[in-house]
Amino acid sequence: MQQLIQYTITGLAVGMIYALIALGFALIWKSTRVANLALGQLVLISSWFTYGMLVQAKLPVWLGLICTILFAIFLGWMIERLILRPMIGQPILSLIAVTLGLAYFLEGLVTVIWPVSVAKLPPIFPQGSVNIGSAVVSQEYLWATAISLLLFLLLSVFFKFHKMGIAMRATADDQLAVQACAVPINRIFSMSWIFACIVAAISGILISCIGGITNALIETGFKSFSVVILGGMDSFIGCVIAGPIIGLCENIGAGYLTQVIGPGIKDLIPFIIIILVILFKPYGLFGEERIERI
Amino acid sequence: MNLPCGIRNFSYDTDTAIIRTRTQWCIFILFLCVLISIPFFLSGFMVDIIVLIGITIIAIIGLNIMVGYCGQLSIGHAGFIAVGSYTTAILTNNFQINFFIALVASGIAAGIIGLLFGMPSLRVKGFYLAITTIAAQFIIIWILNHWTDVTHGSMGLAVAPASFGNTVFNSSTMQYYLVTSITALTVFFSTNLARSKIGRAFIAVRDNDLAAEVMGINVFSYKLLAFFLGCFFAGISGSLFAQWRGSITPEDFTFGQSILYIGILIIGGLGTSIGPIFGSLFIRLLEQFVILLAPTVEGTLSSLPTGFATGLSSMIFGLMMIIFLVFEPRGLAHRWNLFKASYRLWPFSY
Repeated sequence: MQQLIQYTITGLAVGMIYALIALGFALIWKSTRVANLALGQLVLISSWFTYGMLVQAKLPVWLGLICTILFAIFLGWMIERLILRPMIGQPILSLIAVTLGLAYFLEGLVTVIWPVSVAKLPPIFPQGSVNIGSAVVSQEYLWATAISLLLFLLLSVFFKFHKMGIAMRATADDQLAVQACAVPINRIFSMSWIFACIVAAISGILISCIGGITNALIETGFKSFSVVILGGMDSFIGCVIAGPIIGLCENIGAGYLTQVIGPGIKDLIPFIIIILVILFKPYGLFGEERIERI
Repeated sequence: MNLPCGIRNFSYDTDTAIIRTRTQWCIFILFLCVLISIPFFLSGFMVDIIVLIGITIIAIIGLNIMVGYCGQLSIGHAGFIAVGSYTTAILTNNFQINFFIALVASGIAAGIIGLLFGMPSLRVKGFYLAITTIAAQFIIIWILNHWTDVTHGSMGLAVAPASFGNTVFNSSTMQYYLVTSITALTVFFSTNLARSKIGRAFIAVRDNDLAAEVMGINVFSYKLLAFFLGCFFAGISGSLFAQWRGSITPEDFTFGQSILYIGILIIGGLGTSIGPIFGSLFIRLLEQFVILLAPTVEGTLSSLPTGFATGLSSMIFGLMMIIFLVFEPRGLAHRWNLFKASYRLWPFSY
């Protein structure tokens, strides 16, 4: 029983981070209809950048984090301006492939600049563990959950009420109509990439505080595709609900199935969930079902 | 339209022939002669590179059938290649089956696994299918890593070079002839497949699957056929790779490799029969170039970090992929056609 509580709490917290990474995907998909497969690599490069700022340049934590956010803004802007803008109007296959190229490029960049494969961030959050019931949870998990929830709240409010957010939602709905209303679509695309990169940077910082910086972050990015698929591609609520579900499945499944199947089953569960969801409910829990016309 | 001046079609036979004029025949025979005589005047190292290019071409042709003709984006190609490799390794090691039977068996095994993961294409397409194939890649590699009784996990398996009767293909030259002949057969097959009823159905499904269905094409079975054929060639390529390399581990078939294959196809040109050849040549030679160049660069600039060469080749490759998608989405094949057209019309520009 104690184990179950432990798995549940860890699962929920990790799931919230997955959800945050998936949010970065949904942000871009919602407004530009580009499927960004470079999620994990964006997370990886911003984690390494944080490491460079905090450990190699020895900046104080607050300044380092601000630098990381600025870097994320710059990265998002560059990606949109240089790569995605010339691709507007191309078929979805090219749009997916170009983000794969970006993923490959970023991975190479990380290897060139930070050839060490494993690193640890200095403590950003208070250390020590908290007892919840009979389970012991490290404080970083709680902070990660809280910050993720806060970001969700902020972004939901932004999309609901802010002028830019409304314009973004409208762009997702019908690009031509939005252009006819004199909304600068280019700026909206730019903004959504910048937002996505900021979200990726924050989730990168959170997840590398918990598990250190390794190449496994890329796989974390792929795992969060299961959140995207399960929650439905264009739904924030979907992300918030599917993230913890995936986290729970992963941790509880790993906890109880490891004796049966063997070690490493943890890494497989999200991918099995992807296949199952696509076979039985392809548009996810909250996704909008698309009806096609010729 | 693509014919030289003064050449007309007088029968269906001439219309469907790939090689038309006397010049084309001359070039073709010359090319074959060069292809056959390559091992006599190139060093073993160069021949090995060409063998690798040949193996890549087979894999890319498979991918081209899936992505280029049928429009089903697969980002798990390395996984299917791994299935082929491991099938060959297990069949030849554990059951002492002749390599050439194992070759076909690997193709079929990879094809069946491909069918399995192609099932979702019944309901989804585009991004969802891409994600399914990513999942396929990770699941296949996970199984290879953890089914240690059969695959020996990350230790990998040793594979003997191919043999037929008393002939063992253990030298670079022998490998060259083996791989080149199979590559030539594959190129011939895929070129003709694209012009057949099946190829035209694939293209119809790619361009608009609803319209294709309305016209009486059984979309689902053609999609599955594309998956089967694509993965079949992936399996063949993996099988050749296994016996050429001599040992295989799951590390040879990473997700990065899958992206590499997609990139090669895009750089070569999607949905063309010459594209896979150009793409494989371009990327493999570029890779060798970086490998050759890296020690000199690292030697002169000693302050560079250690992971420079590997990182640099990924960076250059990613950049190439982006540049091609942005500036020449139709790939090198399109450039080649433009070159041919201007050559044919020279000295008149129109």
